[in-house]
Amino acid sequence: MTTVVVTTERFGELEVPEDRVLSFPDALPGFPDAQSFVLVNVPDSDVYFWIQSLDDPALAFLCAIPWGFFPDYAPEVPDDDQEMLALEREEDAMVLCMLTVHREEQTITANLLGPLVINQQTRVGRQVVLYGDEYPVQAPLAS
Amino acid sequence: MLVLTRRTNESLIIGHDIVVTVLEIRGDTVRLGIRAPRDVSVHREEIYARLRAANEAAAGNAASDANLLPKPPKRPNP
Repeated sequence: MTTVVVTTERFGELEVPEDRVLSFPDALPGFPDAQSFVLVNVPDSDVYFWIQSLDDPALAFLCAIPWGFFPDYAPEVPDDDQEMLALEREEDAMVLCMLTVHREEQTITANLLGPLVINQQTRVGRQVVLYGDEYPVQAPLAS
Repeated sequence: MLVLTRRTNESLIIGHDIVVTVLEIRGDTVRLGIRAPRDVSVHREEIYARLRAANEAAAGNAASDANLLPKPPKRPNP
């Protein structure tokens, strides 16, 4: 498996397997040039990840697999997004929610309205907007 | 800002491949249909603004912030 070397501000130079490179053709609201990312595990965790931009060494997002924290979270990926991601089976989708650390309050919140949905087969992802107004962009992670 | 007037069932074409059609007008609500290439996302503006603000806040996390992460509850994936 070939590896890719990524220059990052937070982690220095990283060498990652090619299969951890993710393509986000639509980039992200607020970051229109961020179309390539690499998935980096938070040490000793299979629930927390960093999504590090390949285009901008300073850009990285802390994310979590949401199910353990939000057992009732059942995001329905809209048809258009499913089509764009070529998601044929539910199991192919990896869902990550972006986290925001609020240092003053010492709390961490997750964005449930706009999860990152990644097709694990093709490694193409998109920030999907869920329909319905009840999803918070800052849902507290219980500690 | 470009200002155009459309009636029900009339459309706009943006660039070469984005088509916006007025499907229905009821009172002060307009139902729009959008045809766009698969890699162009379309959002209601206020939702896009919410997402942008959330993403910008999330982009500020430092590597050391990962130390604040709670131990995840033990739960199998669905």
